[in-house]
Amino acid sequence: MIIEMARVRIAGPRQRLDPALRLLQDVGDLHLIAAPPSVAAGGPPGSQVPRLARHARRMLDDVDAAITGLPREGPRNPLPARQVRLPPAARRAHGLRRELDALARARAALAEESTALQQYRAFFDAFEPLLQRTPRWPDARASFVLLRPGAGASVAELERSIQTVTGAEVEMHARPLPSGETAVLLLASGSAASEVEKLLSAARLDELPAPRGLGEPSLARAMPALRARITEVDAQLQANEARRAEIARQARPELEALQAQLHDLLLLAEARAQARTGELLFVVEGWLPEPALAPLRERVARELGADFVVAKVATEPWTRGDAPVALANPRLFRPFELITRAFPLPRYGSIDPTPFVAVFFPMFFGLMLGDVGYGLLLAGIAVTLRWRSASGTTLRAVAEMALGCALFTIVFGLAFGELFGKLGGALSLRPLAFDRENALAPFLIFAIALGAVHVVLGLVLAVVGAWRQGQRRQAVGRGLTIAMIVLSALALLAAFKVLPSRLFTPAAIAVLIAFPLLIALEGIIAVVELMSAFGHILSYARIMALGTASLMLAIIANRMVGALGSALVGVAFALLFHLVNFAIGLFSPTIHALRLHYVEFFGEFYSPGGATYRPLAHWRATA
Amino acid sequence: MDLIWIVFASAAAVAITALATAWAQGRIGPAVAASLAEKPELATTAIIMVAIPETMVILGFVVAVMILLRGAG
Repeated sequence: MIIEMARVRIAGPRQRLDPALRLLQDVGDLHLIAAPPSVAAGGPPGSQVPRLARHARRMLDDVDAAITGLPREGPRNPLPARQVRLPPAARRAHGLRRELDALARARAALAEESTALQQYRAFFDAFEPLLQRTPRWPDARASFVLLRPGAGASVAELERSIQTVTGAEVEMHARPLPSGETAVLLLASGSAASEVEKLLSAARLDELPAPRGLGEPSLARAMPALRARITEVDAQLQANEARRAEIARQARPELEALQAQLHDLLLLAEARAQARTGELLFVVEGWLPEPALAPLRERVARELGADFVVAKVATEPWTRGDAPVALANPRLFRPFELITRAFPLPRYGSIDPTPFVAVFFPMFFGLMLGDVGYGLLLAGIAVTLRWRSASGTTLRAVAEMALGCALFTIVFGLAFGELFGKLGGALSLRPLAFDRENALAPFLIFAIALGAVHVVLGLVLAVVGAWRQGQRRQAVGRGLTIAMIVLSALALLAAFKVLPSRLFTPAAIAVLIAFPLLIALEGIIAVVELMSAFGHILSYARIMALGTASLMLAIIANRMVGALGSALVGVAFALLFHLVNFAIGLFSPTIHALRLHYVEFFGEFYSPGGATYRPLAHWRATA
Repeated sequence: MDLIWIVFASAAAVAITALATAWAQGRIGPAVAASLAEKPELATTAIIMVAIPETMVILGFVVAVMILLRGAG
């Protein structure tokens, strides 16, 4: 539901604006707005606020950059605010930022060098025994060539060409590397070395040079230096990490406290800009939940004294559209606010659909997936996600929604007698409601009937919303649309003899009477809306379509066990197919349940456009 | 012979609506992707936009089922 808001105006001595704003920040309930010019002669307080905010922003840049440069750790554990003195702490943060930036640059350079050196390590491992034996020729020269992946076949061709030109003056060795490339070592006598160079150049094969900075042009002589450098780089990387960890240990709590303080300062500066000051007084104005008004009055009187006034602004000067929107739902429904918030917030004074979403979304999901096995799998994933996520995060809300969906999936799985398709039969699992494989028509009728209930519920909410906003004519029009849908359903049921046939004529006559009344009330657009409502109801047939498709895929997966000759291969394919079906079963019902809500259900009553309620409060890091 | 026509009609109901859905989603998809590149906050609307034409193939499937059921009856 949407919390009832009160608009309040707080006035006090001009020189005590800052303590008043700090108290409001401590309370954390007042959503500030710019006070209208009529309430105070002056404008926003000038003074040094913009300059202070600029300084705070610069300091915050340093702190944010320093915290980002630290190794990732667990939850925040800031120092108590009173232990952080702003100017020296900000100077320390600036110094730490510079040191951490330098460490980050050094780490990136070392990591790049380490990657390059590791490429040579495979080369050493492949040819080291060859290079350490006594050479055939005292003046032998080693050349190293790296052939790209897939070029291994040209090794024989290269060897043939070299043998043709240089005879037995060259030894060639090739080794495949784990990367897919082929390492080639050419050992040539001094007289043949220049011929080898020419051949490599003609074949456009570049000799692999020793890494830069080792002062050796030949890889053979560079090897010991290379190995030493790899060890040195690893040690430097470890030292770099150790220094970052040390900084984190010593400075993180102070940096986190400083970050919170600076954010609070900036929030106060923004709040100050919303206030109006006259010669003697300041005035701030804002919104807060109606129940929070009395405690705020009491706290202002207790902590600031009798010089301050907290007055509720009468409802005449503002419209309901001005108020910010805060949603408050029972604990069980709260995760589903995520679905409502994915849409623009409902306008103040309209209806928050979250409680209805919390019931129908998992129900539709469960109807589509409807399988005890898949439901248990989903419940396992949801419980793990919930366990690993922090309270109040989006991931936690998704996990809790998934848990609701899993519960409905298991319940409908029992109703349809499904456990990984029809495997439940082996465990004497029988359908309690109907068998989705054979009862296609009942399932279709059930889905459309559920759609009719959902759409009519949306229209009822539209009637309530319009009535509450004083739009009586629109409320009656929506009521007539409901009557037309119900009467049409009765006429259809009577025509198909589900209800007594004698009901058909009165229902049809009532439809014929209601129709012109509807047009008279809402105009010709009412016809389009009525047709669209019928279209929306039919759209719920997707519940049956997706449910049947999910079941059929599960049945096909089970049939693979006997269809592929080997039972082992069959079981493997069946498991793989079930996994694919489960993945589709998570994605598709979610998308379509969302669509049924956003298009079919919300379309009947939802009025978006509410401003988010953002009270002046202390800054909190988001996970 | 009747059975062939029943099967053919139900297959056509799914196939034609599937083609229509594919055509519509093929037009909507690139437009939505381009919008998302500029305004990622439109992700919810984007999902709905892409999912809307699926109604056609779903109703096609329902019609196909009804044809098969009537044929069997």
